[in-house]
Amino acid sequence: MPEASAIPSRIKRLIVDSLHLEGMKPEMIEDEAPLFGEGLGLDSVDALELVVALEKEFGIKIKSQELGREVFSSVSSLSQFIEARTSP
Amino acid sequence: MTSITASPGIVVTGLGTIGAYGSGAESLRRALASSAPLTASEVDRSSGYHLARASRQALLVDPALVREWLSPAEARRMSPPSKLAVAASRMALRCAGLEGAAEEPAPVAGVALSTAFGPSSFSEGLLRQILLEGPEAASPFLFTESVANAPAAQIAIASKARGPSITLCQREAGALLAVGQGAADLASGRAARALAGSVDEMTPLLHALLDRFGAVTRSGVDGREQARPFDRRRSGFVAAEGVTLLVLESDAAARGRGATSLARILGWGSAFDPTAPAIGWGTGHASLGRALRKSLDRAGIDLAAIDRIVAGASGSVGGDRLEALMLREAWGGAALPPVLAPKGVTGEYGGGFLGAVVLAASGATFGPAAGFAEMDPDLGVVPHDGSPLPAPSLVLATSVAAGGAASWLVLGAPRP
Amino acid sequence: MKRETGGRRVAVSGVGAVCGLGWGVAPLWEGLRAGTSAIGPFKRFDHSAHRTHLAAEVAVETAGETGGGPLLERLGADPRWERLSLADRFAVFSAVEALAQSGLAAPLTGAGVFFGSSTGGMFESERFFSAFLRGRRRQAHLRDLAAQQVNAPGDAVARWLGATGPVRTISSACSSGALALGAALEAIRSGEVDVAIAGGSDSLCQLTYAGFNALRSVDEGPCRPFRSGREGMSFGEGAAVLILEPLERVLARGAEPLAVLAGAGSACDAHHMTAPDPSGTGAAAAIEAALADAGLPAAEIGFVNAHGTGTPLNDAAEWNALRSVFGERAGEIPLSATKALLGHLLGSSGAIEAVATVLCLLHGELHPVPSIPSCEGAGVDPASPVALVMDRPLPLPGVRAALSTSLAFGGSNAALIFSQAGKARAGKT
Repeated sequence: MPEASAIPSRIKRLIVDSLHLEGMKPEMIEDEAPLFGEGLGLDSVDALELVVALEKEFGIKIKSQELGREVFSSVSSLSQFIEARTSP
Repeated sequence: MTSITASPGIVVTGLGTIGAYGSGAESLRRALASSAPLTASEVDRSSGYHLARASRQALLVDPALVREWLSPAEARRMSPPSKLAVAASRMALRCAGLEGAAEEPAPVAGVALSTAFGPSSFSEGLLRQILLEGPEAASPFLFTESVANAPAAQIAIASKARGPSITLCQREAGALLAVGQGAADLASGRAARALAGSVDEMTPLLHALLDRFGAVTRSGVDGREQARPFDRRRSGFVAAEGVTLLVLESDAAARGRGATSLARILGWGSAFDPTAPAIGWGTGHASLGRALRKSLDRAGIDLAAIDRIVAGASGSVGGDRLEALMLREAWGGAALPPVLAPKGVTGEYGGGFLGAVVLAASGATFGPAAGFAEMDPDLGVVPHDGSPLPAPSLVLATSVAAGGAASWLVLGAPRP
Repeated sequence: MKRETGGRRVAVSGVGAVCGLGWGVAPLWEGLRAGTSAIGPFKRFDHSAHRTHLAAEVAVETAGETGGGPLLERLGADPRWERLSLADRFAVFSAVEALAQSGLAAPLTGAGVFFGSSTGGMFESERFFSAFLRGRRRQAHLRDLAAQQVNAPGDAVARWLGATGPVRTISSACSSGALALGAALEAIRSGEVDVAIAGGSDSLCQLTYAGFNALRSVDEGPCRPFRSGREGMSFGEGAAVLILEPLERVLARGAEPLAVLAGAGSACDAHHMTAPDPSGTGAAAAIEAALADAGLPAAEIGFVNAHGTGTPLNDAAEWNALRSVFGERAGEIPLSATKALLGHLLGSSGAIEAVATVLCLLHGELHPVPSIPSCEGAGVDPASPVALVMDRPLPLPGVRAALSTSLAFGGSNAALIFSQAGKARAGKT
């Protein structure tokens, strides 16, 4: 199992890499900052791309019904969601 | 062929082009004037698609050339053809004096784009994910940009073109068809302005396949791969990538805003050769030649007044033959006007050919037909030898595609 | 957007189709009338690792039993047939069937072919890739890859019928088929051709199956356009072809016009690669352009064959477009969504939905969608309250004109207006 504390930084790394955010560094993304719309300016296709990357990285399956705005609102909400799915 | 010689006249007011020759009309003009070989790139063979004796070179685009036209936020999800298309559309709009123009009311703009193979690197990448890693590894990014109309859609988004948007896939005949489509959109009133053109990327897989089908020329004794349009020794084309986008508008609109036109669009048409195999050229030159002649007649264009031909001849064994005999059939024994064969310089696919057609109409100088030395007695066409020619008044461009389609376009020199 | 139509009215003189309901127009109409869905388990490729498991598959092995009959046998016996991809075969079958109904015969010297396709022979090229990438290079046949050309189905039709006029393949995703019909209409009006073979073809393949699943646009159950609880599209495959000619030409040779293709319109959202403009502005502009092209007021439209993919966003945008064009009537015009029965035929969906629209006009009834009571959301979504016809065909005596819409990836919208040939005929004589 991955260490819980490492999850947010792994998510940030995935966001930058899988979404091809050129010029952006993982540490520039704040835990609570909104990812979509106003924040990083990401959209629904970015969310889906991120899902594929998260599934691969954390070995989980995310159902379409779980793709709510709440889960994807920030790095910390995503991190909580993944923690719950990966903890024994 | 639809004639639009009567009002409203349609003119080309902008040209954006990117290829192995560089970026912009001036770089293409220089390449065509000198006829010197462009720097070919070594094709990446690491995927193992190529046969040992396969062609090694292609005319590829330096990716840095599109960067100045796209913000990183725009580019991050685009396929290579989408990047080329959006960059060239911006270049064409700037050339037309329409960059950032905020007109009220905004004219309805159409997009007509041809692509022989679509965003094939993204399709290939997606298939690799699906077949090797499993379908759930499929990237949404790759899928949304793997569709053939992604470049046209990206042009529409970038330039707020809300008129008809059409992507044409008709192999080598596509570029001229797209210009005809854009002109038809203007002539019918469906659009007040159109961005029309042609885009393709040349991936290692495509290159290897074209080679396996015998379409690409392999290296000569000097190790260089040279296409030889209309030459007796021709053995295939040099594969290329790139883009050309044109801005089309009515003559009245162009004059109204004081824009300079590069060429007038006087007619367009197409026909099909049912004798062609799915991946090659047929022998139906007589029927194609009659169709060409008939459509010129219908458009009210006197064949004898055509004083320049820009042939799509690429060095392809069957394609050049079909095109040469089609032209001779149409001219019915009369001597052909000077024939330019720019694909000896630009290679096959991308936008070089279409750019050359417009430059020819605008009076650009062409060097001797690249790669040509010895007439093929079967074809009987000797392309232009580079001696000085007066600027043409009527230019016929023709293109015959693998699979059977043929298309043509008649451009007039711009009004003084 | 004023245009001169030159008084050349364009008739449909023959139709042909292949889809999950069977080979031919007869099984198509029988299934449409009965509201029979062809969406179900399928076996074209191994989809065990894919996210969803349904499609409306064309019966390839048992074709003879599902309506292909003597025509399919005759085509299958031709040595050229074996070299065609599935998408090519669907296209050629549809074209030959349509031509027979029109009373015209090959070779069609001077005729044009206007075709839509999204992926051409992608299914066959996946076979090549699959063998190649797994190192089984001897089993990777180049012929499979040669089939991949998007222009292959249209070219195959032209070659088969000996057409020597213009041949154009339009690949603008899911509006390709409708745009191809619009291009054919234009070519006849302008006098470029007297006969146009217009349609589209696509076959199931893993690329689109996985791709739309990656976008989570696919329903795990059968697609339920405009219904509460809908979750997306279902896949289909097949082809459709319409033979178009000037109306006076059809009448002069004593043939029966099935309907009139009265107008076509298209417009681009210029909004987003995949998501439709939620306001439906681009779709509305396409419908308005088609109405203007046909010279008909919106009030003349008796029913709508909606794009209706069943994705929440698409149906909502389409409802907004209908509301903007039809105003108060938007919730009253009888509406059906052929994709609920045949699945989404992608590049040929606009063509087969055009055939469905022609058949409905011809028979004076609108085909229903199945209600699927077992699925969640039997009712129409109150957020997009269209007058969806369910389970039984709706008789529409005296219906004069109908609208068919196609809204695609990249915001490419297209609309077609068909009208009664009977009325056209009466007006002519």
